[in-house]
Amino acid sequence: MNRLAVALARSLVAAALLAVPLLAQQDEEALKKDLTAVIALHGLPCGKVVAVKVQAENDYAATCEDRNKYHVYLNAEGRVVVEKMK
Amino acid sequence: MEVAWIAVLLLLMAGGAHQPAPASTPAPKPPTRQTTGTVTPPAAASPSATAPLDLDLLEQRLRATRSIGFFTKVTLKNQIDDLLDLFRDYYRGKAKVTMKDLRRRFDLLMMKVLSLLQDEDQELASAIVASREAIWALLADPKAFATLKG
Repeated sequence: MNRLAVALARSLVAAALLAVPLLAQQDEEALKKDLTAVIALHGLPCGKVVAVKVQAENDYAATCEDRNKYHVYLNAEGRVVVEKMK
Repeated sequence: MEVAWIAVLLLLMAGGAHQPAPASTPAPKPPTRQTTGTVTPPAAASPSATAPLDLDLLEQRLRATRSIGFFTKVTLKNQIDDLLDLFRDYYRGKAKVTMKDLRRRFDLLMMKVLSLLQDEDQELASAIVASREAIWALLADPKAFATLKG
C-alpha cells in the first residue's frame, strides 16, 4: 500500500513538473497569436509573431516572421498602441 | 476591460432585441461562405440576417470564447468605440463622413470580428452574422442610436 502511494505521489510530481513548461509554452503561443491579431487589426505588416519579449505588464516587444518589430502596449487611456521599433 | 468590450459589443447587438419577436425563434444560420472562404458581404445577406438574439446566451458565449485574446479584445473595443464616436459626430453634423462611409467602416469591423471568430468559434460567428443587419439598423437610426450608452 505504501509502495503504491509512493509511486502515485511520484507520478503526480512528475506530471506536475511536465505540465508547468507545457502550460507556459501554451501561454506564450496564445500571446503570440493575440499580438499577431492586434498588429493585423492595426493594418501593419507582420505575418506572424515569432518572438515576444515582456517589457512590463501589458507591454511587449513583438518580433514578426518578416523581421518587423513592434512595441505593443496598453496606454493609460485603455487603448492598445502598436509602434514600429527600429 | 474584457467585460467593457463585451458590454459594448452586446450593446451593439441589442439592436436585435428591438425587433418584433416572431412566433418561434429560428436558430441562427451559419455564415454563407464563398469559395474563397470569406463571409458574404451584407448586401447579399438573407432576410434571416435580422433574426433576434438570445442576449443572455450570447453574453455567456462571448465571455467564454477563447478564440480572441485579451489584447485583441481591447483593440476591437477601441475600434468599436471609434466607430460609435464617428456615428455620434455624424448625427451631430460634425463628421465629414457619409452614411455610406459609416456602413463601409461597420462592415470592415464586422469582418474583423468574424475573421477572429470563424475558425475557432463558428457558432458565435454565426450568431453575429445573424445579428449584423439588426445591429446596423440600430446604428443607422438616429433615435435608436441615441438610446445607446457608451
